[in-house]
Amino acid sequence: MSEMPGKLFGWLNSRLPILNTYERHLSKHPVPSKVNFWYLFGALASVVLIIQIISGIWLIMPYSNTEEEAFASIEYIMRDVDYGWVIRYMHTTGASMFFAVVYLHMFRGLLYGSYQKPKELVWIFGCAIYLAMMAEGFLGYVLPYGQMSYWGAQVIISLFGAIPYIGDSLELWVRGDYYISGITVSRFFALHVVALPLVLIALVFLHLVALHEVGAGNPEGVDIEEFLDDDGIPLDSVPFFPYKVLNAFVAIGVFMTVFAIIMFFFPEGGGYFIEMANFEEANPLVTPEHIAPVWYYSPYYAMLRAVPDKLGGLIIMGSAVAILFVVPWLDNSKAASIRYKGIYSKIALAFFAISFLTLGYLGTVGVTEVRKTMSVICTFIYFAFFLLMPIYTKFEQTKEVPKRL
Amino acid sequence: MQEKDNTRRKVLIGLTTAVSLSGIPFAATPFIASWNPSARAKAAGASVKVDVSKMQYGQQIQVAWRKQPVFIIRHTEESLKGLEVTLSKLRDPNSEDIEELYRGQNLTRSKSKEYSVIAGVCTHLGCSPKYHPEVEPKPWDASWAGGFFCPCHGSMFDMVGRVFKGVPAPTNLPVPPHFFNGSILTIGEDGELA
Amino acid sequence: MMNKHKFSFNFKWWQMPMFGFFVMSLACIFFLTDVNASEGGPCKDYGECDKFKYSLNDMESLQSGASTFMNYCYGCHSLQYSRWGRVATDLQIPEEIFFDTLVFDKSIKSGDLMTGSMSKDASVEWFGVAPPDLTLVSRVRGDDWIYSYLRAYYEDSSKQYGVNNLVYPGTAMPNVLMALQGSQKLICKNIPIIAGNGGEKRDQAGKALTKEKCGFLEVPEGSGQLTKDEFDKVIYDLTNFLVYVGEPSKATRERIGWYVIFYFLIFTAVSYMLYREYHKDYH
Repeated sequence: MSEMPGKLFGWLNSRLPILNTYERHLSKHPVPSKVNFWYLFGALASVVLIIQIISGIWLIMPYSNTEEEAFASIEYIMRDVDYGWVIRYMHTTGASMFFAVVYLHMFRGLLYGSYQKPKELVWIFGCAIYLAMMAEGFLGYVLPYGQMSYWGAQVIISLFGAIPYIGDSLELWVRGDYYISGITVSRFFALHVVALPLVLIALVFLHLVALHEVGAGNPEGVDIEEFLDDDGIPLDSVPFFPYKVLNAFVAIGVFMTVFAIIMFFFPEGGGYFIEMANFEEANPLVTPEHIAPVWYYSPYYAMLRAVPDKLGGLIIMGSAVAILFVVPWLDNSKAASIRYKGIYSKIALAFFAISFLTLGYLGTVGVTEVRKTMSVICTFIYFAFFLLMPIYTKFEQTKEVPKRL
Repeated sequence: MQEKDNTRRKVLIGLTTAVSLSGIPFAATPFIASWNPSARAKAAGASVKVDVSKMQYGQQIQVAWRKQPVFIIRHTEESLKGLEVTLSKLRDPNSEDIEELYRGQNLTRSKSKEYSVIAGVCTHLGCSPKYHPEVEPKPWDASWAGGFFCPCHGSMFDMVGRVFKGVPAPTNLPVPPHFFNGSILTIGEDGELA
Repeated sequence: MMNKHKFSFNFKWWQMPMFGFFVMSLACIFFLTDVNASEGGPCKDYGECDKFKYSLNDMESLQSGASTFMNYCYGCHSLQYSRWGRVATDLQIPEEIFFDTLVFDKSIKSGDLMTGSMSKDASVEWFGVAPPDLTLVSRVRGDDWIYSYLRAYYEDSSKQYGVNNLVYPGTAMPNVLMALQGSQKLICKNIPIIAGNGGEKRDQAGKALTKEKCGFLEVPEGSGQLTKDEFDKVIYDLTNFLVYVGEPSKATRERIGWYVIFYFLIFTAVSYMLYREYHKDYH
């Protein structure tokens, strides 16, 4: 009897690379033995991805993607479906937490040079994931067909109109109607629940495969592959299971506590996670008094508003995301980690972070003269951080990177 | 030393596993519960009212309650008497195998002496049986005394929906909760609740 | 440390753009101090909205709010996403009593939506606009806003219904609760002048100096059936009810929330202990 599972497993394993894959990518996968909390957000991002997929599937069931019923179906979920509110708040909180975790994950990348050779592809796949998430979040926000859904979509789709020659017809083509109607909502729905999740999952897969090929980094920027034991395993590594898994468990515990606090006590996030105006059904004739994107887009929204030109704004916004992709080739530093980079890198990164947060704040509030000036300055800083990177990383004095962790 | 460590490890592994696993049923609850009929479905499935005073004797009408057929039959005296004839053919004449709401009150199984109210869904696999009140030989039963015949798999029921022996349907057609207010029949409510 | 970084004063060419970069960053921080430029609050002429703290477990308050709503508001405003029976259950009102006292249309069933008793066309004719559905008003406007708005009506003979509102100037809704509140007026008062040091400004005789300021709301004593405190309580209950209707599962949500947080704290604690235990292997 006891041999049966073993036999079955043997049969399977000789036809599918189960054990091999499990050992190579999970149980025996070597990870640096000394990392800090910045290295936990990747695992948390995958936890949120799973939460989003499951709660998303359950939201599709009672949701109705027509112009007449979309808004009412959200209230139907919130009231008439047993525990529908749990599932919906899980998804809305998950969306914000996904971005929070991914922003921290990306900042870790900048902090410890996680894009440097040979991790260029890991970084590029990561940027692509971020881009796909922005699209996914935008499409999802349109689905409740509230006022912010409508006017947010109106603004973003109008951006297509800035493209010379084809802009206007492109706008009409994306909407499929003369306003953002049920036709638009139902095509956004299809993209949000099928197309983009497939893209996201594929990209996450590539991100992880590429990562496991070149190995995870560490805050010292040490290449652990240089010192191997007799079995060819890096000396400064521990197997993924159970060590890294336990690490992730603690992180998940803390993260889920925060998640639960938001989900059960502040699901609207003070109007930053679910905006108040979105509790009003879309009305194509009346723009809400104060229109702002959800917090995770607001830095780019502030950049858009800083440029007094329609096409220019689109270009700035697009370049702000696009420039992330080429970071591996902007950094000339011999050190990967901020710990061993020079003073200029440190200050530049600090100011970059401050300007990004400031832009984020500015994107959520109304425009005044001072705020507009600030947006312009912060946009400059944002780009200066990247465009000056080849210079300051090449010439500044770096510290000696140690050989071992 | 090593021994002591292992015990601590085992205890902690057990504890962590137990805490993790105990969370799963709670996490699953909303996802399972959200598949229950929603408040909207329950409201749509609330009671329906029919005026049965215009029905002729021997007539059967069908109304939808929860989008499911419910048969209302106004029996003639003969057909009620005829119930005696087929008694020996029945599998469960007193509806002991099912939860019978108005057991023993009337021959009709309902709250009324002349109307039957029967859920029109065969207890075999969910088809809707057809009403055949005629007392005459039928292809499915040479000594047919009136009743319901299911076209899907040939189950037979008597005039008040009790199942015959030797047919695939396991139990009698159930009687839904109902009450009469004069000639207004309400299906889906017991009358005592509202 | 300083000489290690070679942070010298003789600039090299590549340090020039960096210098500009830092100056800009500092400018950005400097401006941060000025960021809270005043924006019109949601309560408009009323100033700061009055703070409202809901109490969704106070059934008496919710019941009284529901009663006020059904008697004074439901004639024009629907609660179209809410169901009658759910309100009765959540507010712990027995269904017979609920339907006898609060539901005026006898054909209504427990599972029906509260779709209002007024046709949209008639209302547009009477008020110029259709009275909005109020199911989600507490989530669109916020509870503070409702609580302030309903108490901020004042006499204004230039308006169609003889009243205006400080929170929502030019509101299309008449003050339906005027009989309870009395006719509130907008008055001017002499108030003490506050000196630069925060105290009251006084003249040489030690008498407090005052100036006239307008925009105060006052109800002439005895013009309404209720005192100010009683009326505030009526509005409190009504707002509380609207908070409930805006999200009927809110009380449940907050109750379950504590258990979930408690669970994850325990989860964190045990997994942290296990993590420490295994951490010994490589440290």
